[in-house]
Amino acid sequence: MAKRRKSKGDNLVLRYLVLGSWALFCLVPIVWFLSIGFRPRTEIITPTPIYWPTFSLDAWRLLLADWPIFDYLRNSVLAVTGSVVIDLILGIPAAYSLTRYEYRGRDDIGFYILSTRMMAPAIVAIPIFFLFRNLGLLDSVFALMLIYAAVNLSIVVWIIRSYMLDIPKELEDAARTDGAGDLRILWEIIIPACLPGIITASVIAAIFAINEFLFTLLIASTKNAYTMSVALANFTGGSDGVIYNAIALVSFLAFLPILVLIVLIQKHLSRGLTMGAVKG
Amino acid sequence: MAAIDQTGGAAQAAPDRARPREKTLRRRSPALRRAFPYLLVAPAVIYLLGITLYPGAYAVYQSFYLVRFTEWIPVGFDNYVELAGDAEFWQAMLNTLLIGGIALTVECVIAMALAFFAYRDALIRGWRIAFLMPMLFMPSAVAFIWKLAFNDGRVISDLLRKLGLIEGNLDFLGNIWLARTTLIVADVWQWTPFLFIIFVAALQSQDQEVEEAARLDGASWPAIFWNISLPMIRPVIAVAVVLRGIDIMTMFTNVFILTKGTPGGMTETISYFIYRQGFQTFNFGYASAAAVVMLVITILAAQLVVKRAFKSGKT
Repeated sequence: MAKRRKSKGDNLVLRYLVLGSWALFCLVPIVWFLSIGFRPRTEIITPTPIYWPTFSLDAWRLLLADWPIFDYLRNSVLAVTGSVVIDLILGIPAAYSLTRYEYRGRDDIGFYILSTRMMAPAIVAIPIFFLFRNLGLLDSVFALMLIYAAVNLSIVVWIIRSYMLDIPKELEDAARTDGAGDLRILWEIIIPACLPGIITASVIAAIFAINEFLFTLLIASTKNAYTMSVALANFTGGSDGVIYNAIALVSFLAFLPILVLIVLIQKHLSRGLTMGAVKG
Repeated sequence: MAAIDQTGGAAQAAPDRARPREKTLRRRSPALRRAFPYLLVAPAVIYLLGITLYPGAYAVYQSFYLVRFTEWIPVGFDNYVELAGDAEFWQAMLNTLLIGGIALTVECVIAMALAFFAYRDALIRGWRIAFLMPMLFMPSAVAFIWKLAFNDGRVISDLLRKLGLIEGNLDFLGNIWLARTTLIVADVWQWTPFLFIIFVAALQSQDQEVEEAARLDGASWPAIFWNISLPMIRPVIAVAVVLRGIDIMTMFTNVFILTKGTPGGMTETISYFIYRQGFQTFNFGYASAAAVVMLVITILAAQLVVKRAFKSGKT
């Protein structure tokens, strides 16, 4: 960015005061919640809060002993990875078709794909529940994979489409003159050229899949399919109430990989989040 | 990635495109060539029809039945008639609009103010990730953070008391507006960053010469921002607000974990209403009728709002 000189209405003190307080508001709850994971349970739900923590690894012991945490982790990883693979297999050819060909109904098809992003999970939850029950897929990671893929497909198609639009047509035409067929062009030229878009789409789809709650809540009922997102809601110890330190730990187990992924695609984040509407 | 002038590129490429096309044409039958783009897009469309058209049709069908375990009794429009007179349903609609509307407005205002301060600042650029942290947390975990802070741990009450603002304890989840505020705070905390990062990116990628020219003419930054920068990024604002609006109007996770609709159904959103009717009282036909109403609203909104926002946002 070009250097700007201070001008009217440019109050640096005010600027850093506002931004700084918001940054604190963002970070303090996270740091506080992280500290919960390293404190004894008796210190967390008390009549008046205790602000100065005692260090304890109780939550870790409890988590490893009482809860099948590695099953939750495995389910999350499998379901999310599988769903992203399905999305790419279906989404890349679709995005290519929507950008590189002129045909009747193309824009309507594109808008239809986009509009599925609007579908509230609650609307389709009951039919999807019955569908999976009839297929005998309830409480399976495979069902989660299918539903996550469906939820994110619109995002994946639109993000990749946006990056494909940026590829100059000449690149493709040169290959076509050399006699390459459409599928070979897609595989050898288009996909490598829009790799940043494919990665961005995959990361954003993966994050939404990790976070997914309602469908998982309905489909999963045991550790066969519980993911971290929904397993959290079950960390209750009967009369002892919610087990917050276990929740804090699991949420950080999910938070760290997401943070790494986001740092990886930081430059493409706003473009990905708007499904390609913002460039930069 | 370098931005590419699409129209320019296409116009240049047009003359040489005729010849290579002939070559592919010779190898494939014309029918296949015409069907090819449809074949590429078909698997995705069929897959999506599977989770929109099929469930939509199923919900419409089921909404005309009274479902008791495995028995389906046809009841005509009874479910809809009952729904129209169901105070809880209308309350859920109202709650969704109130909670969603307030949260969305607050998020927009804060994100815009933050973007105004941040977008010309190189220092903030390096620290942008700090502003994104809440968004990277699993929503279910975020709901628990605020449940602990507001209710189970009484932290917010205690802090307010230490500041001398209140006496005694506030029962956040026991009072209608305090419970709604809890939901709003949780949503604002987590999702303001979503709008913020999009606004900043849009502001930074616009043509800066215009702003510079106005500045040289002696305009103040707030005036430049309000009169020049904001109108220029309006299409992007529309897209971001539409995407956020969709998610906020279908709010479920926070309600499920934080309030379960209490007190007295005053924080129940329409998504939670459908869930409760379906999976807690097992009144599937009735829940489907509510889902169909929500589906109709969604389709109308998609046609009226989303189509327009994304048309203008396409660039």
